[in-house]
Amino acid sequence: MHSGGNASSLPLVGGAPEPTINQLSKPGRRASRFPKLDVPVSEINNSAIRHDKPTLPEVSEHDLVMHYSRLAHRNFAVDVGFYPLGSCTMKYNPRFADFVAGLNTFANSHPATPAAFTQGNLEVLHELEKFLIEITGMDDATFQPPAGASGELTGLLIIKKYLEENNLSNKTDIIVPDSAHGTNPASAKMAGFNVVEVSTDIRGMVNIEDLKGLVNENTAGLMLTNPNTGGLFEENIMEISNIIHENGGLVYYDGANLNAIVGVCRPGDMGFDIVHSNLHKTFATPHGGGGPGSGPVAVKSFLKEYLPGPIVNKTDNKFEWYMPKLSIGRMHGYHGNFLVALRALVYMKLLGKEGLDTLGSYAVLNARYLSSIISKVIPLAYNEPCMHEFVATVKHLKKSHKIKAYDVGKALLDKGFHSPTIYFPLIIEEALMFEPTETQTVDTLDDLAETLKVIIDELQGDDVSLESYPKNLPVGRPNELIPAKHLTVNWGDFELLELTE
Amino acid sequence: MFVPHSEIDLKKMFEELSISSLEDLFTHIPETLKLNDGLNVPPSLSELESIAEFELLESKNTPNLICFAGGGHYDVYLPQTVKSLTMRPEFMTSYTPYQAEISQGILQVLFEYQSLICDLTDMELANASLYDGATSVAEAISVAINKTKRDNVVISSGFNPNTKEVVNTLIDRNKFNTTYVDLVDYLFPEDYVFSQDDAAFVVSLPHYEGSAQDLTSIVQNAKAAGVITICYADPSMLGILKSPGSMGFDIVVSEGQSMGSSLSFGGPTVGWFATRKELARLVPGRIIGESRDSNNTKTYVMTLRAREQDIRREKASSNICTNQTLNAVGSTIHLSWLGPEGLYEIGYQAIQKASYMKQALIENGFTVLNNNTSLREFLIQTKRLAEDVILEMGSKGFLAGIKYSDNEILIAVTEKRTREQIDNYVESLMEVDNA
Repeated sequence: MHSGGNASSLPLVGGAPEPTINQLSKPGRRASRFPKLDVPVSEINNSAIRHDKPTLPEVSEHDLVMHYSRLAHRNFAVDVGFYPLGSCTMKYNPRFADFVAGLNTFANSHPATPAAFTQGNLEVLHELEKFLIEITGMDDATFQPPAGASGELTGLLIIKKYLEENNLSNKTDIIVPDSAHGTNPASAKMAGFNVVEVSTDIRGMVNIEDLKGLVNENTAGLMLTNPNTGGLFEENIMEISNIIHENGGLVYYDGANLNAIVGVCRPGDMGFDIVHSNLHKTFATPHGGGGPGSGPVAVKSFLKEYLPGPIVNKTDNKFEWYMPKLSIGRMHGYHGNFLVALRALVYMKLLGKEGLDTLGSYAVLNARYLSSIISKVIPLAYNEPCMHEFVATVKHLKKSHKIKAYDVGKALLDKGFHSPTIYFPLIIEEALMFEPTETQTVDTLDDLAETLKVIIDELQGDDVSLESYPKNLPVGRPNELIPAKHLTVNWGDFELLELTE
Repeated sequence: MFVPHSEIDLKKMFEELSISSLEDLFTHIPETLKLNDGLNVPPSLSELESIAEFELLESKNTPNLICFAGGGHYDVYLPQTVKSLTMRPEFMTSYTPYQAEISQGILQVLFEYQSLICDLTDMELANASLYDGATSVAEAISVAINKTKRDNVVISSGFNPNTKEVVNTLIDRNKFNTTYVDLVDYLFPEDYVFSQDDAAFVVSLPHYEGSAQDLTSIVQNAKAAGVITICYADPSMLGILKSPGSMGFDIVVSEGQSMGSSLSFGGPTVGWFATRKELARLVPGRIIGESRDSNNTKTYVMTLRAREQDIRREKASSNICTNQTLNAVGSTIHLSWLGPEGLYEIGYQAIQKASYMKQALIENGFTVLNNNTSLREFLIQTKRLAEDVILEMGSKGFLAGIKYSDNEILIAVTEKRTREQIDNYVESLMEVDNA
């Protein structure tokens, strides 16, 4: 099989470990040069001034470039291979968006520049807001939250403030499914709510009877993804949102899985009051090895005045900053991750109506196809049509051959694929969660399923040492015990000997 | 767009699924929820068409304002080498390094990042980045509250007002009290008395207004009362200022923009967070550690994972998941490019040029409010409203600074500014403020 994410052409370079930049340092070398000082020298008198030079590596520019290029060669990325990583939406990131983000005043505006001089930047946010509220079915948005978890916290603080303003501070419970992302309960706790867990029914959806039992006068709201983390569409979503609303609570949409429904249906039409979107997932901005992201929050109009700000308002062809009257405050030092928002706008403009109307459909098509061919290799967790992702399980292989989801993931790495998400959602044993996204070809999907079959056959062999996988990468399986007992977290060989995981 | 399927591909996939159209994928979704006419958005643009559209949008910003604004974000020179290495697609388009075997590149860069920050601040443990400087201050305060179980937070008023707003938003003021302490002559009062109820002491180095002081004795007083001391340090000045660790601080946080990120209209940048090992369990966000693989080869991994939200859920030290890794990569490469001499020079030249500018302003009749204690950033008085002065200076090609109050402007100077730019600024300001 020959595919773009071709398994047999390994993308990473190994060899001996790369030294640290500190080990490459030699006294007297330097890469930096600056113009000569062009003003007269004055004496600096201040008790905070140091009288020695700071400790930093001393390296030549060529050594610096070789070092970080060699480290880049030891890193998997969307640009070099396929990430079937459930819940993470690792789709192709258009290069063109990086070009636009590099344009002079976009990249180089100081954040305190008055709106009069940054009308282009404000228009970017205004344009993106229009796309975003149309896609999600909401009315107003803020770009303050720099990531999804910050968007969640924003939404919860809005719920809190809204309840306070309406003299409903007795409402202190946030209901979260047992299948939810860890950020949901962590954010609810940070916002000062009690976390109440609702169970999942046998079909993989919110257990409505359980929900009815949990809802009462203390219910502040519900946090939900739809499709849920099992990749299933919550078919009773209208009933769920009605139950919460009837009890005076608000319904929050965790946008982690928005990619499945773009152009198909909208959270705003399902009864959600607050929605966050992960621009670094659904709208194709690069993940950067773990960030930056952007987690804009969109609300129904009755919540507009609670948004963190300032937000952009348009008046007579002019864009202005506006601080909502009942605003929860600020979630970021300035305007959130502006250049990430800009990249998302570029992506949306390139897709336009034809691309956005079918975005969710193609994401689901790829996942449904992959689930169909993978189900011939390992069983799926739920017997329901999946949306943009699905969960399979190897609990039978754990029983018969001690092969865990972890082992399957590690063996896949060896074949040039990123591992699917493993052990999530927590309620499914030995879970492997696949999300192909719409940008992978059918050849690559076939390739993944075939490779999965090959490795599962291989791992069941007689003399197989599971711990020896992966074998063809710059390093093997990390020793999980060492960092617990002798934690080295900087090159000063500092050890936290007393700590154990 | 970016969907790769040909008609032949679609036929194959539809056959596998026994469907005849994309709509057949959604028979389980209630009809009333479906978007029958699709979305009300403009038609798709090719890359070629959208170049013109985005260049037009970009041109609505006033171009090439010479930047004299700071307040946490500084127009420090960002070398091409740093930009192009940071934007290598293997760094830029990779996911969080959960799979250590295929993520040694990012993991090692982050290990180097943590180490560089520890060296620079004299701390023992840094995390792998937070969102920005302002949110890092709030996260540090949470650590102090969790550690001390006390409920009062002492904060110097010498902070960017936006940072204070972020703190006020993220720290639950129904449960915790925030006491803002006014600066006296632009310095934190040496004789401030801390109480046994204080969880944290938070101060900026230099202060927002640009003045700096050795904070050692104040930190000692705070620590004697059992208070966790938090320093918000300007990274581009750490080459010339005493390190926060040497002054005794427990936690150091920074707005890391000036090290490795362009101004970016404020984001994405990076929040630095470093501390001492006693607080390791309470640190928010990811931490990278050095380990060994099964062949005893050096291997970097994410560690101390039991603090994080995906494992600990509502008991996590923070809800942070996605962070600012790529900007942390930028900080790593920029600091390594600078070296000790380069980082010193950035601070030294900024201070020298600011001294020259203050002198020129004073000679031309302006009042510099904190001339003696300020370094690269300082406050001036204006006769006219600061807002109007800044707007008119803009039409002369300058971002004059940040409005501090009705008649005060905060001016920042970096190593990038030239004598000629400073002379022109002073001349323009005379015209504008005396008009």
